Amino acid sequence: MTETAIEAAALGKGFGRRRKQALDGCSFRLPAGSVCAVVGPNGAGKSTLLSLAAGLLRPTDGTITVLGAAPAAVRERLAYVAQDKPLHPQLTVADTLRYGRELNPGRWDDRTAERIVAEGDLEPDARIRSLSGGQRTRVALALALGKRPELLLLDEPMADLDPLARHQLMATLMADAAEHGTTVVMSSHVVAELDGACDHLLLLGAGRVRLAGPLDDLLAAHRLLTGRADASLDPHTVVESRTTGRQVTALVRPEGPLDESWQATAPTLEELVLAHLRAPETPALRLDEMREAAV
Amino acid sequence: MTAVTTLDTSTAVTSSRGPRGLLWVMLRLHRWALWFWLALVAVGAGALLWAYGPGADAAWSEYRTLHCDTNDPDLGCDNLGPAYNMYDTVVSIGAGILGLAPFLTAGWAGAALIGRELENGTAQLTWTQSVSPARWLAAKLAVPAALLTAGMLVLTLLHRLLWSTDGPLRAAMGSRSWYEGAAFEANGTLATSYALLGLAVGVLAGLLQRRALPALGLAVVVLALLTTVLGTVRPYLWPLETLTNKHEYPAYIGMVVDEGALTSTGARVSDPICVDDAKCLADHDIVGFYRDYHPSSHFWPLQLVETGIVLAVTALTVLIAFRLLNGRTGAAA
Repeated sequence: MTETAIEAAALGKGFGRRRKQALDGCSFRLPAGSVCAVVGPNGAGKSTLLSLAAGLLRPTDGTITVLGAAPAAVRERLAYVAQDKPLHPQLTVADTLRYGRELNPGRWDDRTAERIVAEGDLEPDARIRSLSGGQRTRVALALALGKRPELLLLDEPMADLDPLARHQLMATLMADAAEHGTTVVMSSHVVAELDGACDHLLLLGAGRVRLAGPLDDLLAAHRLLTGRADASLDPHTVVESRTTGRQVTALVRPEGPLDESWQATAPTLEELVLAHLRAPETPALRLDEMREAAV
Repeated sequence: MTAVTTLDTSTAVTSSRGPRGLLWVMLRLHRWALWFWLALVAVGAGALLWAYGPGADAAWSEYRTLHCDTNDPDLGCDNLGPAYNMYDTVVSIGAGILGLAPFLTAGWAGAALIGRELENGTAQLTWTQSVSPARWLAAKLAVPAALLTAGMLVLTLLHRLLWSTDGPLRAAMGSRSWYEGAAFEANGTLATSYALLGLAVGVLAGLLQRRALPALGLAVVVLALLTTVLGTVRPYLWPLETLTNKHEYPAYIGMVVDEGALTSTGARVSDPICVDDAKCLADHDIVGFYRDYHPSSHFWPLQLVETGIVLAVTALTVLIAFRLLNGRTGAAA
C-alpha cells in the first residue's frame, strides 16, 4: 500500500510570457492501485495536471513523480487519453491499433485493444475521420488499454459518449483496471459520472489543491447539518451554509462533538464537491498524507 | 496457461513483414507525401532522361537541317527552333524540380510533418506511446532526410549526365551557363543540401508555430530569405580571379562579379564610358580595363563551400529544434 502512483510537491505550471499560473503549489500523493477522480471547474488546472503527469509538459515549479520516477522516464508504463481524443484521422481503426503495437513493443496486448473496438461495432477498415465522437473515444481508450499501462491518465474521457456507451465503457475500463491493478486518474466536471467508480478524490480550484485523499475519508470528515438558523456552528469549519426561513443547512468539517440539536447526515460526493466549488474560500483539506503518516 | 497463449498470439501478429516501429508509422502517416515525392522524382528523372536522349537528338537534327552549323546558315538559325525550345523546356522542368524541392519540403515539413501533429494533438499521442519526443523528432527528420537525399542525388546525377554531354548544344544555342542559379545548384551538392535545409527549417517552423498553416508560411518565407542571402554572397565564397586588358575589356568568361576601368596608378574606377574617344580616356587617366570573375574551375570550390555553410545552418536549425522540444516537454530520455 505504500507504493505511490503520483506524487506532486509544490507543483506549478505557468504559461506564456506573463506566466499565468494554471497550477500553483500543488502537493498531493496518490497511492498505486487507486482510482482517482480529478474534479474542478473549467480552468482549474485538471488538464494541465494530467499533461504534466504524462510527461507532455515540463513543470515551471516543484516536482511531479510518476511511478517512482520522472514522467519522461516511465513513458512505457503510462497511458494518456487527451480531452479531444487525438488520433490520426487518415488511419483506419486497424491501422490505429497497429500504430499502438508498433510504438509499444513488448507491452502491446492485441486482444484487449481489439475487444474494446469490437464491442463498439467498429469496422476495422473504417477511417478515424469517419467516426463519431463516441467511436473515437472508444478507439482512443483501446489504444490506451492495449498498452497495458500501470497508470492510466484520462482527461474528460466520457464527455462525447451517450449514457449507454458511457456506462458500458466505464464498466470495461473499471473491470480492466481492477483485473490488472491499474491506477486510474480521471478528470471530469460531471461528478455523477465518477460516483461509485472512484476511491480517491482530488478537487482542484484555480490551480490549487482544495481536497485530496481517499474518498471515504474525505466524506467522513464532513457532515451535512440541518438545524435552527440561530444555532451556533462553532467551533466547526463551515464549508457552506444556507439559510431557508428559520432553518439552516450547512456542510461542515466537525472540529469536535456535534451538538445534539443538529440533524447530521453524511454528504454525498456531489454535495461535497458542489459545496466546495460554491465556496472557494474554504481552507484546503488533504487527507492523503495523514493516512500515510498513520501507516 | 492463459498468459502463454496471449504471448503466442501477440508474437504471431507482430511477426508480419515490412518496416517496424517508428519507421512503419512514418511511412504509413505520410504515405501520400511519399508517393508525391516518388512521382516528382520520376517526372524529373523522366524529363532529364528524355532530354539526354531523344530531346537532344531532335534539337541537333533540327540544327543541322537548318544548316546552322555551316557557313550558309538558314534564316531560322536567328531564332531557336521548336525542337530546341522543347528540349530547353524539358531540361528546365528537370532542373526546376531540383530547385523547387527545398521549398516544397519546407512547406510540407512545417505544415503536415510537424505543425498539424502539434495542432491536433497527435504528436502528444505518439509521445504517450513508448516514444520520447526526441525519438519522435529524430524519426521525423531522419526518414524524410533519407528519402530526400536519395531522390535529389538521383536527379542531380542525371542533370550532371545531361550537362556533360549537351555542352556543344548549349554553346551553339547560347543558353544556360554553369554559374546560373538553377544549373549551378542542380549540378552539384547544393540542391540536395538545400532540400535538407528546407526540411530543417520546416521542422523548426512547425515546432515554433504549432499550427499547420502559419508553419507552412513561416517555413517558406524563412527558406526564401536564407536562399536569397546565400545566393547573394555566393560569388564571394572563393577568391576571385582578375583579368586585365589595355584599351578594351578582357574576354567575358565565367561568372563575372565586378568590372571597370583602371587608371595609370592601378586604381579601379567606374567606367566613364568613353568608348574609343582617346581624349576622354586621357582625361580620366584610363589605361585599361579589368574583370573579376570565377572561371569554371571554381565550380567545385564554390559549390563545396556553400554546401558546407548550408549544412552547418541545417545542423544548427536541427539543434535548436531538439532543444526547443526538450525544453517544452521536459523529456530527458
